[in-house]
Amino acid sequence: MGNKQKILIVVPAFNEEGSVGKVVEEVHTHLPQAGMLVVNDGSTDRTSEKARASGATVLELPFNLGIGGAMQAGYQYAYEKGYDIAIQVDADGQHDPREIPKLLHALEVKKVDVAIGSRFIGDLGYRSSVMRRVGISIFSQVISMIVRQKITDPTSGFRAANRKAIQLFASDYPQDYPEPEVVILLHQCRLKMGEVPVGMSERYSGESSITKIRSIYYMVKVLLAIFVDCFKKPPFLEKEGERC
Amino acid sequence: MLIKIQIIVGVLSIILLLITFELIRKKRLREEYAILWFFTGIAVLVFSLWPEFLLSQFFVRITGIFYLSAVVLIAFFFLLLIVFHFSVVISKLTGQNKELAQRHALLELEFKELKKRSLPRETGSS
Repeated sequence: MGNKQKILIVVPAFNEEGSVGKVVEEVHTHLPQAGMLVVNDGSTDRTSEKARASGATVLELPFNLGIGGAMQAGYQYAYEKGYDIAIQVDADGQHDPREIPKLLHALEVKKVDVAIGSRFIGDLGYRSSVMRRVGISIFSQVISMIVRQKITDPTSGFRAANRKAIQLFASDYPQDYPEPEVVILLHQCRLKMGEVPVGMSERYSGESSITKIRSIYYMVKVLLAIFVDCFKKPPFLEKEGERC
Repeated sequence: MLIKIQIIVGVLSIILLLITFELIRKKRLREEYAILWFFTGIAVLVFSLWPEFLLSQFFVRITGIFYLSAVVLIAFFFLLLIVFHFSVVISKLTGQNKELAQRHALLELEFKELKKRSLPRETGSS
């Protein structure tokens, strides 16, 4: 059954010419049957050329929309092209393509709509600064409380979504801090999610978008966004159920 | 003293109204954005012409501030409304802009792929 499903790997990339080619090639060797889509989020460098040279389809946004807008465009592509599963893999190389089958397995066996690759289930050797781990653990506790389900790594961008979730994301995807906010959105739409332990490696190039100094500011903003999300009207889903 | 302030405020509000009107006439300002500016101009004009106007007297009484402050307060309130309106409009535009960018990217990709698929066929047949 797993082989018959159309799988799309979505790689959002903003000025990642140093690593995007390598990521695409690596994913391709481990998952040759999957389609590769790189969403170029208005890069000013040669991200598109590098991605195309390594064999990916490139969706080029006319200007920078941010990770939320770029990922949503990827899901829109997946939806329109009839893909059954879309997997987000970051272009900086911190997501290990060898872990993708674990995400697929969770979709199939655990029957979840979205599988989230977590760095914090078990010890898979992920090391990061104390600051970041404290921040993520606070997010984790707040979000787990809201969605009444243990989510250990709400900021992880390493995710697999099935057709139902692709449809939701194509029409509605948080823009500002998509990773933690998506968890809330899924909860509001009563879609199931599950976490899978994955190892993540060091980034090939570039820096995290969250630097040390700004991390507290970032945390406050995300918590505020999550708080506001709880009072947002959940998107209307019934019409989409029919289309499914 | 009061008459001076009245004249200054009155003249300013008339200038504001004229500019607003002129910009609408030249189609450089859309009516939906002009309407709040019109109300601002009219409100300030009314308060400058009739300092004893009910509402301004009411403001003076409940706040205990002077006439000029009352006018400034009223103008400020309207400006606040305008700025708020703009925030709402900008948010809407940002969303529409994002959707356009995504639509554009998807169509462009579709178009390129169609072109690539149809080109070899053309050369093959000719």
